[in-house]
Amino acid sequence: MNKLNRNYLNMPLYRAENERRSVENTLALLNKLRKNPVVGYVIFALILTVTQILSSAGLVNSSFVYAIGSTLIFCVVSLGFCLLLGYSALASLGTAGFIGIGAYCTYYCLAEWGLTIGVAFIMSIVIALIVGAIVGYISLRIEGIYLAIVTLGISQIIKEVLAALVDTIKIKGSQITLFGIDSLKLKTESIFYIIVGMMLLLMIITHNIMNSPTGRAMLAMKNSTSAAQAFGISLMKYRLLAFMISIIYAAIAGMLFMLYNRYVSNSSSTLFTLSTSLNILGAVIIGGMKSIWGTVAGTFIIYGIDKMFLQDIEFFRENPTLITLFCGILVVVVIMFYPGGLAQLLMEVKYKVEAFIRKKKEGKYGKDLG
Amino acid sequence: MPIASYLQILIGVIPSMCAGILATFAVTLIFKTSYTTNFAQGVISAIGAYVAVELTLVYGLPLWAVAFVGVIVAFIVGVAIDVLIFRNGRYVNALGKQIITMGLISIFIGLIPFVFKVAQFESVPVLPFIHLTQGITVGDVFIQYNTIISLVVTVVLLVAVFILLQKSKWGLSVRATASNEIVAGMMGINTKVITAVSWGIAGSFGAVAATLYIGNVTLSSGYIMTTTQINAFLAGILGGFATFYGPIFGAVIIYMLNVLIGCICIHVPVLSNWKPAIVYFIVMLLVLWKPHGLFGKKMVKKV
Repeated sequence: MNKLNRNYLNMPLYRAENERRSVENTLALLNKLRKNPVVGYVIFALILTVTQILSSAGLVNSSFVYAIGSTLIFCVVSLGFCLLLGYSALASLGTAGFIGIGAYCTYYCLAEWGLTIGVAFIMSIVIALIVGAIVGYISLRIEGIYLAIVTLGISQIIKEVLAALVDTIKIKGSQITLFGIDSLKLKTESIFYIIVGMMLLLMIITHNIMNSPTGRAMLAMKNSTSAAQAFGISLMKYRLLAFMISIIYAAIAGMLFMLYNRYVSNSSSTLFTLSTSLNILGAVIIGGMKSIWGTVAGTFIIYGIDKMFLQDIEFFRENPTLITLFCGILVVVVIMFYPGGLAQLLMEVKYKVEAFIRKKKEGKYGKDLG
Repeated sequence: MPIASYLQILIGVIPSMCAGILATFAVTLIFKTSYTTNFAQGVISAIGAYVAVELTLVYGLPLWAVAFVGVIVAFIVGVAIDVLIFRNGRYVNALGKQIITMGLISIFIGLIPFVFKVAQFESVPVLPFIHLTQGITVGDVFIQYNTIISLVVTVVLLVAVFILLQKSKWGLSVRATASNEIVAGMMGINTKVITAVSWGIAGSFGAVAATLYIGNVTLSSGYIMTTTQINAFLAGILGGFATFYGPIFGAVIIYMLNVLIGCICIHVPVLSNWKPAIVYFIVMLLVLWKPHGLFGKKMVKKV
């Protein structure tokens, strides 16, 4: 009787305890997930994927999604530039040139030599790295401030050399093969998924670099070169590393651009000119230099809004330089008065809202003494 | 006759070399007084050229008269940049200053189509001071009058400015500000005015360069001076920003390298596509050999 009774009494308690624990565990897991930034990136990628699926179903304007895809390509460049500028305090004006290298490698691999995307991917990165290593080694040896000058020159040379090779690069849809899949089925939509996947991967990699000893070394170097050296951080090594990473990102973006747009004319397009490098710089600065989300938001301000919404308005289509003007003003204002950029702005708004809510609660229930 | 064709190449480079030298001096002046590399130099110069071309083509005034207006406008733009932006952003670090000048490029490029009617033209004609087919023939070499004008203007301006730098009170103030702004201020030099005027002079030199330059190339966009500006910066690195004359020699060396490669290209036509790449590559090697520039000295950083 006693035993039975105990069993009868204990079982539900035991179960309740178990249940409570499992709920707690789930909550803890959710909380952990909520705090893990990677989840945010995955959700971002999922939203983008859903947008494309909706567009395929005919629910979202396809040109709108195309604009998002084009903007995401520049987001990839900005992420690399964010590491370079925000974490190592190096400003490069050679971004456009390295995008060009990626685009041309892809063109040669796919259209001229009939290779797969994978080979094009590796080729673009390797060639960009070789050029970048030479440029970086020489220019970083002089002084940090000269990097912008030398890369500006290099970008110009790359553009001219590429134009000398062939002016118009064009890929046919049938020339794009991935894992041996029937090439004609790989439409623009599937390239969009590749872009989103690449974006997600690079966001996670960037996040990990930023929070690794490498990222901290770069940050130390940014704040004080002398102090960083005193801690045994090799300036050359980390500067070159940051430069190389930004170059790889730019080359990848060039490849994605080529896959997505399939056509660039060197002489008439502004893609490989100084304006692209300046726009990327602007995007990173407006975003707040150090934050991944800020960088993405900055890129959407500079490239996205224009492509997604303003192209539908007559006035903006007729005055395409207006967005350049707007971008320039934002850059100057942000640098002079608000160095934290968009990321800092959002953070401050968040604190203000939280403080406001706390105040409201206090007004209602009295001050929380606990 | 190869020697004549070599000389012809040399003569052909002179107009852009003059523009390059003036731009180099402008960049050096700003580098020394404001401690930043002014990336907007090219676009400020282009504004000067736009003013001149606008007044010539739209209002029908003679180019030689309105060139001065362009120069004055560029002077005002330069001073305005210093007074409105750099004076207020004094606590912006070196990188921030560089980025501000990059932002200025975007601002001016965005503004040009709104301000100038010329920017809407399908094509802008080349505007030399004297028609390009006019000139003198020395032996087998043809020299355009326009080239001679470029050369004379550049040499006169440079000689004047170097004499001023060495002999005048203004030059002494500039040199003092360049070597140490705070100490110069303590000695009673109004460094604010010196810096502002330096920006103005840099702007007007740029405008002169651009006005000479559009005698050979059409004014297609605000980016027209980009190549010249890149050469100017590289000249600064090559010659070393430590002195005023170093960058000028650097510019001459870069353009002479262009001539040299151009002469080689006559015999090896394959190279002609790679001409700029080869020139930059040689400059890079020289910089690798002398990281502080050919005429530079190592600047000791005091902590």
